[in-house]
Amino acid sequence: MKMLARFSVNGEPHEIAVEPHWLLVEILRDRLGFTGTKHSCGVGNCGACTVLVDGVPVLACMTLALAVRDKDITTIEGLNGGDGLHPLQEAFVSHGAIQCGYCTPGVILTAKALLDRDPDPSEDDVRHALSGNICRCTGYVKIVEAVLAAAAVMRGEAVPAIAPAERSSPVALAAVRGEVDTHV
Amino acid sequence: MFRLLRPFEFHEPASVTEAVALLSTYGDGARVLAGGTDLVVSMKKRELAPEHVIAISRLAELDFMELESDGSLRLGPLVTHAAIAQSPIVRTHFPMLATACNEVGTPQIRNMGTIGGNVCKAGPSQDTPPVLVALEAQLTLVGPAGERIIPLDQFCTGPFCTVLFADELLTQIRVPPIPTGGAGCYKWCTKVTATDETLVGAAVVLVVDQDHVCRDVKIALSSVAPIATRVRGAEDILRGRQLTPELIEESARMAAAEARPRSRAEYRRRMVRVLVGDAVNQLWRQCVGSAGGATA
Repeated sequence: MKMLARFSVNGEPHEIAVEPHWLLVEILRDRLGFTGTKHSCGVGNCGACTVLVDGVPVLACMTLALAVRDKDITTIEGLNGGDGLHPLQEAFVSHGAIQCGYCTPGVILTAKALLDRDPDPSEDDVRHALSGNICRCTGYVKIVEAVLAAAAVMRGEAVPAIAPAERSSPVALAAVRGEVDTHV
Repeated sequence: MFRLLRPFEFHEPASVTEAVALLSTYGDGARVLAGGTDLVVSMKKRELAPEHVIAISRLAELDFMELESDGSLRLGPLVTHAAIAQSPIVRTHFPMLATACNEVGTPQIRNMGTIGGNVCKAGPSQDTPPVLVALEAQLTLVGPAGERIIPLDQFCTGPFCTVLFADELLTQIRVPPIPTGGAGCYKWCTKVTATDETLVGAAVVLVVDQDHVCRDVKIALSSVAPIATRVRGAEDILRGRQLTPELIEESARMAAAEARPRSRAEYRRRMVRVLVGDAVNQLWRQCVGSAGGATA
């Protein structure tokens, strides 16, 4: 039997009727249209479905939707901020920290939670924080470099080394915005 | 892999009493949902198909972490692995527990998964049970007839089997303090897989006096027997004796002999010897260092 539940997604309230067996990834993608959240391994190994619940990275494919009602959920769409990009998204584009793009939203959200908690992480801290996000293209070196570069920008110690968004690769931009949606 | 869940009825009790009443009503048809990292996967794999899911995840009365005046730690079953690993209380007084909790799953799994869920799963290769067994943790179980308290090493009866009745709920884990002059640590090695499952885990609590005599020791292993197990023969070699590198090696060899690994037995036994030896040697230095500091 469906239950009425409220969710705050990227600061916007949503109220929808939810079946108890629906997972958070289902309501985000199929009911609310936040397809930047990816569904991949389904068993908690890969981290592609990572979203932030009250600022903490969790796996949307293993979370019952009802278990997070009334909570603040952040998806990759919450970072896009209209036409602009979050410093992490800019750094991922400028460092080429993207290959197929399927793991990218989860990686960026996990990295955002890290930088919100620790603005000046070491490379080890970044690698440890991202250890639950698997990149099947194995592009970890550039991902770690991009997170460290974004951290420096967010601390005001570096200027973004990005070409204006419109001159960057549309594929890379789609990836950091979570618009790559081909099942791997 | 089935990615989605089959329908079930969802219950969200407002208290432990209400949760136990629901468990009594639905018995084996019900499962308790805390962090969901285990239950949801089992339901996806169709290993479990409960008709009733009883979500205790929002029960504030089961989410606590407190140091008592006697130095013991009271943990609510809903405390997540991440919360324990990051807790200043745990890192100061029970660093081995923080170490083990930081080794569970991935960061996201640690943010979701609870210590109570980990203990109740009773898997052979988990990281927290050997540590809690070495620390002689006690569990409070609440059922319709009231509560009972049992030591963790009597809780698990086999892989994924416990003495928990279908209408009982784990409500507290109590960890007694490490005795003065003692220290504990957790050592492990992993398989190389997506989630780096533990291949061997060794938890040791050691108490040594200034004369290097071992006053007490507990050694618990995981992933080398059906459940997290104390190796009492290895402990007996050390207890009451003056520590030497040779004695520690003898104890580590005994621990390896007492291990009952099912697969990769030779390698696992060898790693038991290495990990137990490393742990006891490290703790010996720590204990004597702290005892020396106390008398200075």
